[in-house]
Order: sequence, then C-alpha cells, then structure tokens
Amino acid sequence: MIIELKDINKTYPGAVPLHVLKGINLGIEKGELVSIMGASGSGKSTLLNILGILDNYDTGEYHLDGVLIRDLNENQAAELRNKMIGFVFQSFNLISYKNAVENVALPLFYQGVSRKKRNALAMEQLERMGLADRAHHLPGELSGGQKQRVAIARSLITQPSIILADEPTGALDSKTSKEVMSVFRQLNDEGMTIVIVTHDPGVGEQTNRIIRISDGLIVS
Amino acid sequence: MFDLLHEISQTLRCNKLRTILTGIAVSWGIFMLIVLLGMSRGVSNSFNDSFMSTGTDQIMVHGGMTSKPHAGYKEGRRIKLKDPDVDKLMKENPDHIAMVSSTLSNDSAVISTSRDYTSGYTGATPDELAGNNLEMRSGRFINNADLREVRKVAVLPVKVARALLGPDSTAYVGSRVDISGLSFLVIGTYHHDFRENVFIPFTTAKKLNGDSPDINQLKVTIKNVSTQTDGDNVEQDIRQTLSTSHDFAPDDRSALWIWNRFTQFLSMSSVMGIMDMMVWIIGLLTMISGIVGVSNIMFVSVRERTHEIGIRRAIGAKPRSILTQIIAESIIITALFGYIGIFLGEVVCGILGYVFRDAEAISNPGVDISIAIQVTVVLIIAGSLAGLFPALKALKIKPVEALRDE
Repeated sequence: MIIELKDINKTYPGAVPLHVLKGINLGIEKGELVSIMGASGSGKSTLLNILGILDNYDTGEYHLDGVLIRDLNENQAAELRNKMIGFVFQSFNLISYKNAVENVALPLFYQGVSRKKRNALAMEQLERMGLADRAHHLPGELSGGQKQRVAIARSLITQPSIILADEPTGALDSKTSKEVMSVFRQLNDEGMTIVIVTHDPGVGEQTNRIIRISDGLIVS
Repeated sequence: MFDLLHEISQTLRCNKLRTILTGIAVSWGIFMLIVLLGMSRGVSNSFNDSFMSTGTDQIMVHGGMTSKPHAGYKEGRRIKLKDPDVDKLMKENPDHIAMVSSTLSNDSAVISTSRDYTSGYTGATPDELAGNNLEMRSGRFINNADLREVRKVAVLPVKVARALLGPDSTAYVGSRVDISGLSFLVIGTYHHDFRENVFIPFTTAKKLNGDSPDINQLKVTIKNVSTQTDGDNVEQDIRQTLSTSHDFAPDDRSALWIWNRFTQFLSMSSVMGIMDMMVWIIGLLTMISGIVGVSNIMFVSVRERTHEIGIRRAIGAKPRSILTQIIAESIIITALFGYIGIFLGEVVCGILGYVFRDAEAISNPGVDISIAIQVTVVLIIAGSLAGLFPALKALKIKPVEALRDE
C-alpha cells in the first residue's frame, strides 16, 4: 500500500477545540485513482493537508510509500514533499512572474539541480502535456486549462510517489474540466497514483474509487 | 549561487518601482555619509597640510613684558632675547630640546627695485629651508658660505620677486634688489602656501642690526615628547631656563610669548578626531533611516509574497532557502544602491574638491579605500539585519495557511 492511515485524529486547538478528524483509517494501493468527497467542513481539506505533509496529526499513524510520517521537522517535511508528493491546486498556484518552464522546473531548484538540466526536464514534462509551444509564456498569458496542465507538469517533474489534487477542476469550465480529468486518467494509466479531493460528483465518477468523508469519519 | 542571484534578480525586477524607491533611500544615506566623511577628510587634510608645512615639533619664543616684580625689578619691564639664550637653552634642557635657532628680522626695512618696493627681511640659516618646508622655484637657498662671508644675498618668495623684478621668472636669479639702501644679489626664489619672507643670511642681518646681541625670536625644536603634558612641561622648562638669565619670575606668563605648535597640534588633532566621530554618527544615523526603509519594504514584500512563499514551501523549499533568499535580496538591494551612493558621493566630493581647489579650509575632500571597505562592511551587516526580521517572519508562514490566503 502506498498510503496507509491508521486511526488518524486531528483537533484544532482554540477556545472551543475543534475535533476535525475522528479516527480515519484508509489505505490506497499503488496505481489507484481515487477521489475523496465530502461536504465543506467534513474534514477533507484537513485530510489532504495531512496526506500532503503540510499539516501534522495528533494521534495515529501515517505511512507514505513505507515511510512513517510523524513528528517531522520543517526540513524533513520539505524534503519529503519535494521528493514524494506532487501537488495540484484549485487555483493553480503558479508563480506569476515566472514563465511556464521556470514554474515547472522550480521543485528541482530546491533539489539543487542545475538550471540547464532542470529546464530540459521541465520542457519534457511540458511536451508531455502538449504545451511545448507555451513554454515561455507567463501564467497570465495562459488559459485556465493550460495553467492547470502546467501545474500538473510541475507536480510530475520530481517523479513523485503520489499526486494530490485539491479541487483541480474547481476553477475550470466543464470542457476544460474534462480535458484535465483525461490528463489525470492518462497519467493513471501510466501507473501514477492519484488522489483527488473534490465535492463535484462528476469528477468523482471518473475516478476508480470514491472515498466519502463526513464529520471527520470515512463513511464509505 | 548563480541560481540564487537569478531568482533574486527576477523578484527584484518584477517590483521595479518598489525596489528603486527603497534603493534611493539607501543610496541617499550612503551618499550623505560619504560626502560628510569626504568633507571632514578635506578639512583635516588642509589642517594637516598647514601644520606639516611649518612643522609640529617647534615652539616659538618671543620676548614679552613682565607682569610681576622680581629680583628687585619692577613689573612692566620689556624682556629682550639675546644670542646667549640659544646655547643656554640647549645646554640646560638636553632631554627635550633638539635644536634652537634664533631669528632676526626687521619688518620696517625697505626692499626696493626700480619697479616696486616692499618691506621686511628675515635673517636665516640654511636649515630654514627644510624647517619651513619651502619649495625652491629657482636658484638656491642661503648656504654656509653665505653665512661665513656675510654675503649680501637674498632669497625671495615668488610673489615678491614678480612684483619687484617683473614677470620674467628666468631673470630673477642674478638680479639685484636694494635692502636698507644696500644692493643685494638675488640667489633664489621659493614658494610657500602662506609665508612671504625675504630671507638674507643670518650673519648679514646681524650686521645690518649693528652687531647687537638682540634677537627677535627663538625657534626651539623639541624631541622625545608625545603627550600634551610633555609639551606643557617643555614650555615650562623654557620659561624656567630663560627666567634665570633675564631675571623674571618663572611663573610670570607674560614675560615670554610662547607659541607651542606641538600642544596646539595635539588639541587641534583631538578636535579633528571629534569632528570625524560626529560625522560618522550623523552619517550612520542618516543611513539607518535608509536601512529601516529596506527592512520595512522587505516586510511588505514578505507580506505580499506570503502566497508565493507558501507555494515554494509546498513544493519543497526548506526554511533555510527561504531565509537565504530574503536576506540575500536585502543585502543585494542595500549593497547595490549603497555603491551607487558611494559612487555619487565620490563624484560630489570630486566636484567640491574642484570648486574649493583654492580654498584654504578644505583640501582634497574624498574618502580613501579603507573607508570604502568599512562602508562595505557596514552595508552588508546593515543589509542582513534589514532582511533578518522580515525573513524570520516569512519562516513563520505555514504553507497551508499561505495557500489558503488568496
């Protein structure tokens, strides 16, 4: 199993502590394309943050590709995120003053890969996404679908263990949503493990398995 | 490293206006510092020049008037320095007096040619040339043969020579001038910033004075003194020694007029030191306002880029690389614009140096390489401090919150 969650609990402290995740048990096999669905406030974003090593959990165990993710300091977390996880966000999260190639190459910058080499690798990923001719455009000069494909290229460049997508079609129209989903399906066919968090049933239907979360518990 | 610079130049370029405005504040601070330091350096250069050109190890002694009754004499008696005082001073104070020479001058003697006239000559020995830092422009200075043979020769300052002998400077040496009705041969001309004495051999001056033992001034060259107290002590020793030969009270300060160039130099030096320090303080305070500006702008920049920093963190930027980037950015802004300030400051110092080239109060304003290095060090330290706090703030940004922040 590539992702294994055992009895994960998470409480946000405060005047009224908020118990968000109430014992999540979840396993995802290598090569799966799954969606996590739930209403807002159900805890799905918190779950995604924990899966993406962006947030800590209180109790339980999380194994990612055989590595126990627990009590990491910022440096270890950054390194694991860089190597093992590719992120795709609803709002693309591209850096506005960097062109497509530079955006795609950025994760390799933090691995210390030389500029020439990382730009060459970034071009390869852009070609794979069919965006070779847009390589030197700034994000502002790209359409929503193109931006999301640049973001997907960026998530792939470090050859991660999993791709985590947070509402990847949330900001796109239905036509480009379909395009982006077909990109995910294609990547999945090539063996990539992909977890998509969404509240859109149309997106959920296109995945192989739907995990429903409600009130901090997995219901199906 | 190159990659980091590339990253930084990219972020600075996408905020051109802000970068430039911040930079101007820094440039201005450094500019002020350099101009102030340069001008203060100019003032102290000129101070040193004028002191060096007459020597700082000399004490001039003139006879004065007694103000206290002593040894049976009433007060109000004029003290006249005489030839034997030279040897007496040398003999009784061997530790601190290297040399004593006497000057004999006559300020009312008329010096004339058919063209023009002036007045006043000074009897000189050959060592006056070096002692006064005179620059010979033509011919030679008075030598020992002139003294021995009591020759009627004269050395003129260039200005006086021009007035008396006309504009043709090649004809000065060998011309003749009348001094007190006697014909003197001009043997040389000299230049000095402010001295304009007509020099004749000391022995000749003596003879013109009717071979009297009176002298106008004693010039005491001191040695082995380094502090204000040493200088004051030598002065007191001179009073003591001369009080016995001229019968005045050793503590009677008006009996001798003493111009102690050494202690004067020390006190002027300390004034210069204080001025230098004040300039540094004012300059650094001006610079601090620039640095605070950089820090402020880096805070704004970090705030504006929270989202971007969140993205970078999510895709694997370690805290250290964010810290490095922000501090390096700050150092680069400070150093780059700082150097522009240094450059402009030097240019302005150069212009001022040109404008004031004839002024006596300022000479060669500008800063040397050691100041430039000190300023560089200050810039780098200031730049990293300016970047440090914003960078630490950036580190506190949690990627989750930053990504949510649209």
